[in-house]
Amino acid sequence: MIKLIQILIEGALVGLVYGLVAISFVVIYRASRIVNLAQGEVLVIGALLLWTFTAGMKAAGWEVPLIISLAMTLAACIAFGLILERFVFRPLISQPAFAIFMASVALLIMLRGTAQLLWTAETRAFPVILPEGAFQLGPFLISTPLALGGLFSVLLAIGLHAFFTRTRQGLRLAAVAEDHRTAMSLGVSVRSAIATAWILGTVVATAAAIVLLSGRVVSLEVAHIGFKALPVALLGGLESIRGAPLAGILIGVGEALAMAYLDPLTNGAASGLLPYLVMITVLLVQPQGLFGWKRIERL
Amino acid sequence: MLPTGIHFESYAAETRVLKTRRSQVWLAILVAALLVAPFFAGAYLTGIASEMFITLMAVYGLYITVGMAGQINIAQSAFVGVGAFAAAKLSGYGVPVFLVIPLAAFCTGCVSVLFALPASRVKGLYLALTTLAAQAMFPIVIYALPPGWLGGLAGMPVEPLTVFGLDLGSPARLYYFTLAIVAVLTVSVFRIQHSRFGRAMIAVRDNDVAAEVMGIPVFKVKVMSFFVGSLFAGIAGACMAYVLQFVTASSFTLFASVWYLGMLIVGGLHSPLGAILGVLFITIVQESLHKVANTLMQLGAGGGGTLFALTSIILGGCILIALIFEPRGLAHRWAVLRKAFQIWPFPRS
Repeated sequence: MIKLIQILIEGALVGLVYGLVAISFVVIYRASRIVNLAQGEVLVIGALLLWTFTAGMKAAGWEVPLIISLAMTLAACIAFGLILERFVFRPLISQPAFAIFMASVALLIMLRGTAQLLWTAETRAFPVILPEGAFQLGPFLISTPLALGGLFSVLLAIGLHAFFTRTRQGLRLAAVAEDHRTAMSLGVSVRSAIATAWILGTVVATAAAIVLLSGRVVSLEVAHIGFKALPVALLGGLESIRGAPLAGILIGVGEALAMAYLDPLTNGAASGLLPYLVMITVLLVQPQGLFGWKRIERL
Repeated sequence: MLPTGIHFESYAAETRVLKTRRSQVWLAILVAALLVAPFFAGAYLTGIASEMFITLMAVYGLYITVGMAGQINIAQSAFVGVGAFAAAKLSGYGVPVFLVIPLAAFCTGCVSVLFALPASRVKGLYLALTTLAAQAMFPIVIYALPPGWLGGLAGMPVEPLTVFGLDLGSPARLYYFTLAIVAVLTVSVFRIQHSRFGRAMIAVRDNDVAAEVMGIPVFKVKVMSFFVGSLFAGIAGACMAYVLQFVTASSFTLFASVWYLGMLIVGGLHSPLGAILGVLFITIVQESLHKVANTLMQLGAGGGGTLFALTSIILGGCILIALIFEPRGLAHRWAVLRKAFQIWPFPRS
């Protein structure tokens, strides 16, 4: 029994990290109607930027306090978002969804190539940003960085939800997510919405990288988490920011249970397949996810 | 655009691909050139050409699913993998090659239908996500199956290719083998556009509501477009298994799927010529990059990783440039060039 609850807790905490990556995914969709497959690569770029401004600069002899490194990373993320908007997505405004989707696929391999060219494929130690270790809660052991990260993703989801539904700026973004042309004709700047979307998405992805990688190693393989977050975002609903952490918990718990009880029977495949099977089931049964807008294109 | 004095009296004549005598002559010259090429090119170039033909088969399949029916498929490489594993398994049982290839294609088609079924509920991007799931699940399943079935992590050897007791192991013979298959597929892909099924797919792509109103079974056409596209992928996979003599799941990645899609987009989505031009263009770019990287490596700079990174950046850049500046691809550029040449000295409209 204690083992089961321990598995559930760990699964939920890992799931909240997936949820955080899914939030970065949803934010981009919610503000610009772009399904960004390259989110895993964006996360890796954010992580590598942060590594450069902490460990990399330390190695080069310019050590700066952590807070300044974080500020520099934030600035770099904003620059990254602006560059993507200006050179990739601005020319594609009001193009068919297919073109925008393919642009994100092209971006996926381009960002991977760029990361490999600039930082090479070696693995590096990621700086310790969140406190290490674990604490005891009753008979259960809880990892401190994951617990802090989980708390952070729940708070972030609530905050972003308030931003998207209560503020003027957020409602403008929602209008762009609804339809580019209508938004433009109502005087909403689609350009600035897309730029905001990418800046938010990059910043949230970098935050997810901090939670995921703090004190561990960063390599190009980490980008794989992007594809794990995709089923989470879809289950929660692509438009729903609050749905992402909840769906993350569901998928994380399911994955942990499958890992503990089904993997020994299936040679380790069950936990890997589970998110994707959930994704296909969601698409077949309720394509808008748990909390998405019921405006799915259907036959 | 056609030269003056050419006109048609029947639909069959209008749908013909080679409309004039001159184009037939050009095709004959091209076929002759392809047939004698291995005598002049070295083993390396012949190998590249066979690889290019196999890629072209997969891209033809993608042209049917994505270009004609408008359904995004980012799992073509996984489908090629299914074909390759099916061929490897069947050849292990001693099945002759002219049975292996159709059977492998059929297996691949059946697998793809499983992932096309969500088309009954969703379309567009959401359907693309189910193919993404197919691509992500493919290696997990192969690795988890018992090693006796499909080789697991280690991969699977393939029996050497023999046709009627004749061993087709050398690069030149493999070249002719792939050339023959790609020729058959080229003819069929050019014909499909003007068939009933091809017109139905194009109608579904252009407007699926209108297609439904005209009495086209939209869901069936979408699933069939996946099936047919994957038949091509399965054939490509079987050829790849025979050429490489070894299959592992790690060669069929999402990355390769993106390459196939990229070739189609750069070439032009809406004509089979686009598939050919795209494959040719990207292969040439890739090979020249190899040359450059080899020279650089001899000078002592960079390594294999740099080459991989550069190819990724250039392919991604090509796709983006094609999407932003010429969504109709190289095929359209080619048509513009041809027209300018035909109506010279008049300015092009």
